[in-house]
Amino acid sequence: MPRIGIISDVHGNLEALEAVLNAVQADDVESVIHLGDLVGYNANPRECLHLVQERGIASVMGNHDLAILEPQYAEDFNILAYQALHYSERQLSIGDKRFLEDLPRSDLLLGTYLLCHGTPENIGSYILHAFQAKRVFNLLQKSYVGVRACFFGHTHIQRVWMRDERGRVSSPKATNGSMAMENGKLYLVNPGSVGQPRQGDKRAHYLVFDADSGIIQFRAVPYDIGKTQKRIREAGLPEYLALRLEDGV
Amino acid sequence: MFGSKKAILKDGIEVTLQPMVKEDEEALYHFFQTLSEDQLLTLRHDVKDRNVSRDWAAHLNYARVLPILAWIGGEIVGDATLHRISYGWKCHIGIVRCVVAPKYQDIGLATLMLNELVRLAHELGLEKLWAEISLDSVKAIRACRNAGFTCKAVIEGLVKDVRNQNQDILIMVCDIPAFFDRQWDTHNQC
Repeated sequence: MPRIGIISDVHGNLEALEAVLNAVQADDVESVIHLGDLVGYNANPRECLHLVQERGIASVMGNHDLAILEPQYAEDFNILAYQALHYSERQLSIGDKRFLEDLPRSDLLLGTYLLCHGTPENIGSYILHAFQAKRVFNLLQKSYVGVRACFFGHTHIQRVWMRDERGRVSSPKATNGSMAMENGKLYLVNPGSVGQPRQGDKRAHYLVFDADSGIIQFRAVPYDIGKTQKRIREAGLPEYLALRLEDGV
Repeated sequence: MFGSKKAILKDGIEVTLQPMVKEDEEALYHFFQTLSEDQLLTLRHDVKDRNVSRDWAAHLNYARVLPILAWIGGEIVGDATLHRISYGWKCHIGIVRCVVAPKYQDIGLATLMLNELVRLAHELGLEKLWAEISLDSVKAIRACRNAGFTCKAVIEGLVKDVRNQNQDILIMVCDIPAFFDRQWDTHNQC
């Protein structure tokens, strides 16, 4: 069974994506999977999309990817995200948009692991709080029998939610960035964000999953934030999108 | 500015929302000159003094205060700000302030701007938004209610009005996760 690199929320940050892909290579993974949102926020959506294509990285669709295809969907975005999405839209060719269009809303990995951006049923919903995790666990039990874990993105924060045999939902902390899935339990796992981490750590985040042992290793690598900020400013994107990268928010 | 967010107000007027940048100083100063005495009294600074808007424009710090301006026909007609607390037991709370030119009240502009602040606050990881409103400001209370705020407390006789009379203050709070969760579930099924 393979070791898999799982990344999410690249959001057009080329320097972060390159740093993560280099690091993932050193992690000796067999393949890399992306959980959506290639575009938006940062200045290089086209280059990131092409790099993902070149490397043959399987991806699901994110809410920003969807908003490129269906502009009315972006009306509910906040003003910073909205401005950046318009920039992304202008950078992409028809072929690039077709690539986004072909992305599935969710996918199944090895028949046991569900992949999605927000939640399995809603590309824009968040799993940030226990009540939201409980709702998704209920959905998995009802509609995705046999699924052991769901890997999701969207929140830009590395986190695990676990439902035990008695139905209790908790968010266990990884020890030294690592944790093992236990039999009989259900998991929701977020690798954090490559291109715009929001957990107070400015490094690019991802995880390595060993499907054989069920071990998840959370990772973070530094990248050239100054270069990314320069590109954001040169593109005329909102200044705050450059500043927030420094603080990891 | 490319990508600025546009919306149509109740009376059919198109408004553009965008974060304040330093070039907005002059327009912001002129906007403040249109406010009534009652409105000015609710603000924390003497905004009729040119130095105030000049100082704000020169020292923009979005991590501390994120101002969203509403523009109609090249003029600023509304200013909504999200104030953040960087440390301590209130660091998950954002404080919102919103003021709309008298000519453009009652057409949904305050609600539009407050909704924008709720979306931004959610993305920035805040959990609660806090607003202080005069208990007599029915329009402001309605705008906050429409943006997901609920009434939490009244502090009687806390502040002074233009006639130096004590006035009651209403505290309204928006529970961001609950509000945002509901919003996505109803509007964005896919």
